[in-house]
Amino acid sequence: MPTVINPDAVPKSLVSELIRPSQVHGSLYTDPAIFAEELTKIWFKTWVFVGHESEVPEPNDYVRKQMATQDVVMTRDRDGDIHLLINRCAHRGLQVCDDQKGNSSSFRCPYHGWTYRNSGELLGYPYNKGYGGKGRLELGMGKVPRVESYRGFVFGSMADDGPSLLEHLGAATGEIDRLAGLSPKGEVSLDAGWLPHKTRANWKFLAENETDGYHPQFVHGSIFGVTGSPIGALYSDASTAVTRALGNGHSENDLRPEFRKFAEPMRWFGTTPERVPNYVAAMREAYGEDAERRMIEGAPHVMIFPNLFIAEIQVFNIQPNAANECISYATAVQLRGGAELNRRMISQSIGSVGPAGMLLADDTEMYERNQQGVSMLDPEWLDVRRGLVRETTDEDGFTIGAATDETGMRGFWKQYRALMEA
Amino acid sequence: MGIEMNDRGPFDIPDIGPVVGSEFAEISVNVDSEANSTRLRLEDLRTGRVRYLDPLELETIIWLADGHLTELLDPSADRWRDRS
Ligand code: FES
Ligand SMILES: [Fe+2]
Repeated sequence: MPTVINPDAVPKSLVSELIRPSQVHGSLYTDPAIFAEELTKIWFKTWVFVGHESEVPEPNDYVRKQMATQDVVMTRDRDGDIHLLINRCAHRGLQVCDDQKGNSSSFRCPYHGWTYRNSGELLGYPYNKGYGGKGRLELGMGKVPRVESYRGFVFGSMADDGPSLLEHLGAATGEIDRLAGLSPKGEVSLDAGWLPHKTRANWKFLAENETDGYHPQFVHGSIFGVTGSPIGALYSDASTAVTRALGNGHSENDLRPEFRKFAEPMRWFGTTPERVPNYVAAMREAYGEDAERRMIEGAPHVMIFPNLFIAEIQVFNIQPNAANECISYATAVQLRGGAELNRRMISQSIGSVGPAGMLLADDTEMYERNQQGVSMLDPEWLDVRRGLVRETTDEDGFTIGAATDETGMRGFWKQYRALMEA
Repeated sequence: MGIEMNDRGPFDIPDIGPVVGSEFAEISVNVDSEANSTRLRLEDLRTGRVRYLDPLELETIIWLADGHLTELLDPSADRWRDRS
């Protein structure tokens, strides 16, 4: 008998009719039902950035983290392995761990004293006769089933199987490598502390904006003007920088062509080798001739789907709370062996994305106005066609556009749609 | 009980001494010299229960296999037991 394919049997996504090659529908950012679908099909399925191994440097260290709506404890057990525990007691559901960070080999729930190892297994419980004696319960804390890290960046997947982390990251690994390659020791740490920034906007506005090279001149004009920053010129019609869709929803603003043009080490950081002599010496010591290239080309500006944004000197971790709210966590990049640069990266981060930081405030104002706007009824669609007329493919097969083009957004939506319709 | 910030850090509480604490336990740690030689005085600040550990006992704890120590962490092991 021939197989009859019943079109109704194919699970249909709420978003299928809402994404076009050059337009996306406003309800994608406002509809709670779409948000619920995103949780199950994206946030609880694909690889999500959670934190960095350097946040739990010692055995038994732990830090609290967010994975979308889930409260997660990132622990390092005494053997050095990293775990992501779901912060929920197996008995009656209480939050087991209350502090934001600490060091403990085990966690004891405050409700009835159930005690768990920091790898999630149940160690014991008081008055065990009620359960038939010691060791009769096989209940542990929930665990994020797949935890993997790449160069210390820890990712979790709530799905038991699926593509590996390396398959998910694809070409984005090269960007993480590039960042780590600016450390004389080849290692980044993200232990300077994360600043949470609650934003009354849908998480996708943030993800799309991170490699939107069209907005900086307008939104950040004031801070560029005040600081005399040369960054504005990188995002103009005259710029040789490119926007690249790296596949799997990842995208970057590749500023290297501009920096190569000037061929000045440390220009990417807005400084000169004379002002950071120890760092420059350490880089030359570590990488020989290649040090110049690294210091000229600088750090990546890459958005890794769905929630890790490496913005040269900061890292952002975006986590959604609801259709109209998310939290953007920001921290300064710290390069192992780069003390001189690290101090500067912290003070620059405070100035740009700290509590009174101008860059973050500028962008957040746009996200929140954007969220307000999309609840208006007409026009229904947002436009993402910028650069379609001049998009090309580079030698590695990636789609590229000009510095100000919406190539990154279109790459984002392609991956979004693939996951939602899978 | 106010916590004073001094040179020894916020875990050094006046009249109580150094405290090793987390959200799961709060223990004050002092060296006691009332006996014929020094020993460690540990006080569970939540219950007030005190235990003295002599150097040999301390050495034993240091050498205790991790698995053995973990067994002792079971709340039923020694602390909350059915004694019916
Ligand atoms: S809810 Fe955690 S011990 Fe009862
Ligand atoms: Fe911006």
